[in-house]
Amino acid sequence: MKTALANRMTPYLFLAPAGIVLVAALLYPIGYMIYASFLDWNPSQRIGEADWIGLRNYTNLLGDAAFRESFWVTIKFAAIVVTLEMVLGVGLALLLDRNLRGMSILRTLFILPMMIAPIVVGLMWRYMYHPTVGIFNRTLENIGLPTVPWLSDGGWAFTSIIIADVWQWTPFIFILSLAALQSLPQSAIEASRIDGASAWQTILYVKLPLMMPVLIVTALLRLIDAFKVLEVILVLTNGGPGLSTEILSLRIARTASEFRELGVAAAMSNFLLILLLVLTVAMYLYGKAAELRAARLRAAAEEAA
Amino acid sequence: MTLTFKTCVAALAASVSLGSIAAAQDVPAPYQPYAGTTLVVNFPAHPHYNAAMKVLPEFTEQTGIEVEVDQLQYLKMRERQTLELTKDEGDYDLISYVVFSKADYVYADQLENLARYFMNPKLADPNYDAADLIDGYVQNIGVAGGQKGYLPGPTGSLYGIPFGSETSVLGYRTDIFEKHGLEVPETYDALLELACQIPELEPGMGGLASRAASGHQASHAFLLHLNPLGGGIFDDAWEPIVNNEAGVEAANALKSIVDCGIEGSQTFGPSEAAAAFAQGDYAMFLDSIAFAATFEDETNSQVVGNVGWALHPEGVKRASQTGGFGIAIPKNAQNKEAAFLLMQWLTSKEADLMIAMEGGNPSRFSTYENAELNAKYPYAATFGEALQYADPDWRPIIPTWGKINADLGTTLSQIITEDLDVQEGLDGVAERSRAIMDEAGYYTWN
Repeated sequence: MKTALANRMTPYLFLAPAGIVLVAALLYPIGYMIYASFLDWNPSQRIGEADWIGLRNYTNLLGDAAFRESFWVTIKFAAIVVTLEMVLGVGLALLLDRNLRGMSILRTLFILPMMIAPIVVGLMWRYMYHPTVGIFNRTLENIGLPTVPWLSDGGWAFTSIIIADVWQWTPFIFILSLAALQSLPQSAIEASRIDGASAWQTILYVKLPLMMPVLIVTALLRLIDAFKVLEVILVLTNGGPGLSTEILSLRIARTASEFRELGVAAAMSNFLLILLLVLTVAMYLYGKAAELRAARLRAAAEEAA
Repeated sequence: MTLTFKTCVAALAASVSLGSIAAAQDVPAPYQPYAGTTLVVNFPAHPHYNAAMKVLPEFTEQTGIEVEVDQLQYLKMRERQTLELTKDEGDYDLISYVVFSKADYVYADQLENLARYFMNPKLADPNYDAADLIDGYVQNIGVAGGQKGYLPGPTGSLYGIPFGSETSVLGYRTDIFEKHGLEVPETYDALLELACQIPELEPGMGGLASRAASGHQASHAFLLHLNPLGGGIFDDAWEPIVNNEAGVEAANALKSIVDCGIEGSQTFGPSEAAAAFAQGDYAMFLDSIAFAATFEDETNSQVVGNVGWALHPEGVKRASQTGGFGIAIPKNAQNKEAAFLLMQWLTSKEADLMIAMEGGNPSRFSTYENAELNAKYPYAATFGEALQYADPDWRPIIPTWGKINADLGTTLSQIITEDLDVQEGLDGVAERSRAIMDEAGYYTWN
């Protein structure tokens, strides 16, 4: 009897340390944040001194035009950078998936931007975007073109932060796509070649579909990251001009430190968390659906055979 | 053997205590009980505090009190203090705070009321001469609880002493003004006209270097013009008046100043504006006195010897900025009395002059009148005069200001860069400010 109980408990016992760490390190802070989002809490108070105000932080946020604007800027930013980075990253991977001399050096060079600290990336680009001494405007001037207000015009500033982000994070997509490409079954590619597929057809009908699971996860990781990017934009524009580059994470940081409203900042973080959860679940469901469809097709093909 | 050992220990102990008595006898009596204490202070990275740090060894030598400085960028410093002040036992004995933190700290009951220190005959120096401290600064930075809550008045009391405070002045290029026979603008009309005339006279040069970056910086630049033009953020009943005629005039002034600036001036913070002036890209500079010394520093400035100073031009009245920093003792400090002694010493006539000679901002009228200082920094006299017009009610120092300031600053940035209609933009600010004030309970008694 006792041995049976002990046997039954053993797996839980082994799981316990991980479970405790999970609860302490993950659930507690999230629970804290959710609790804080119902409080009118400024950083000069301890959490116990803050007033409970129910859902007011949330309802206020929904009516706050600046928050809605920054929500929209975030979605626009994430959608554009992830699309651009996916196209460029996968494209580069397809181009460089071959045995050239010095390839390993080239690959290392390509992933360098990813390794630079975001603050440094921000500073670097800020100098390059400088209206008079920056390399971009100096070059434009030298070839006789009109200069561009990189960071001092709303539309251009938004473009500028996209360029900087694409520069920094395309290598991430590139390196993961390259790994996916190199682990593809050579047999499928050879078979397509024997069937007379052109290079484009191989890419479109064989390589990309086979890479799809990896690409979906990659895109999801990038998307989550893009929603949270802070430092580069903080250094480049600090959200300006106006609210044109004030993405949600920057607004959260400002709400906590500048406006001193920790409860509102927590509510915003929860909105962001919910948004990311919805996206993750949607991606996951899409992956499942695609898998099911593939299985159905395979079954149909087998039946036909 | 044991006996010898004991004797040795006793002799050693005697010599140690004799030594410390001897050391303590060197320091003046008020400081003796605290000699050997180490104070931890929190200062911002700022020209005034850099100068103050050069003088601190002198304090240690005179008093035997050691000082350890934790220096941070001023907005980071504010974040750190916010957390630090909620602890039961704080790490800082003396903090420097940026003027708008006064509202937050005093309201949260985190600063020591200084009355009990100035009442203590063992601590208060009878020769301190508080009347010599610059009045506008003391009212703006040190006193809370009077009129409107953040200003002095019969119910107010002192929580801090100005240290590294500043006002606004107009810097101009004497060479450029001479070359074109220009007159230094006395009024706002003249200033605005000149700001846009200069780019025509000197192609490639901007008129007036100003902050303008979205948020706090744009709001600060707007306030510089709003007060002299007779405007304000609120009336006496806390109703927003930022969108009245004077407000619109001030926003238009800011926009025209930025439009007549060099490329990229829409994103300038104070250091970018100062750097552009120091590089010779502008003919005028309207901002804090704290930058004056940097324009005469040959390593960073190309305009050394060519910068003249004048009072902040007059609109319907003269009203220059009051801002910068003060020093205070946190409620949770470990060595409050020694911290008070340091505070009193740093703002004494003697130390104020020493710090000013190192390039800091004086807190005392007598320092501005000092001949030695005027010989080293010829602009000191102008700055001293400017202080008479420093407006203690330059901006509302209330807990909700952070949010209103940011909203005002982003809206102004939209006015400057996205051609948002001035009246429409300011109406929006007024409406949102009213909602913020309402929620914070400012209309409870109406």
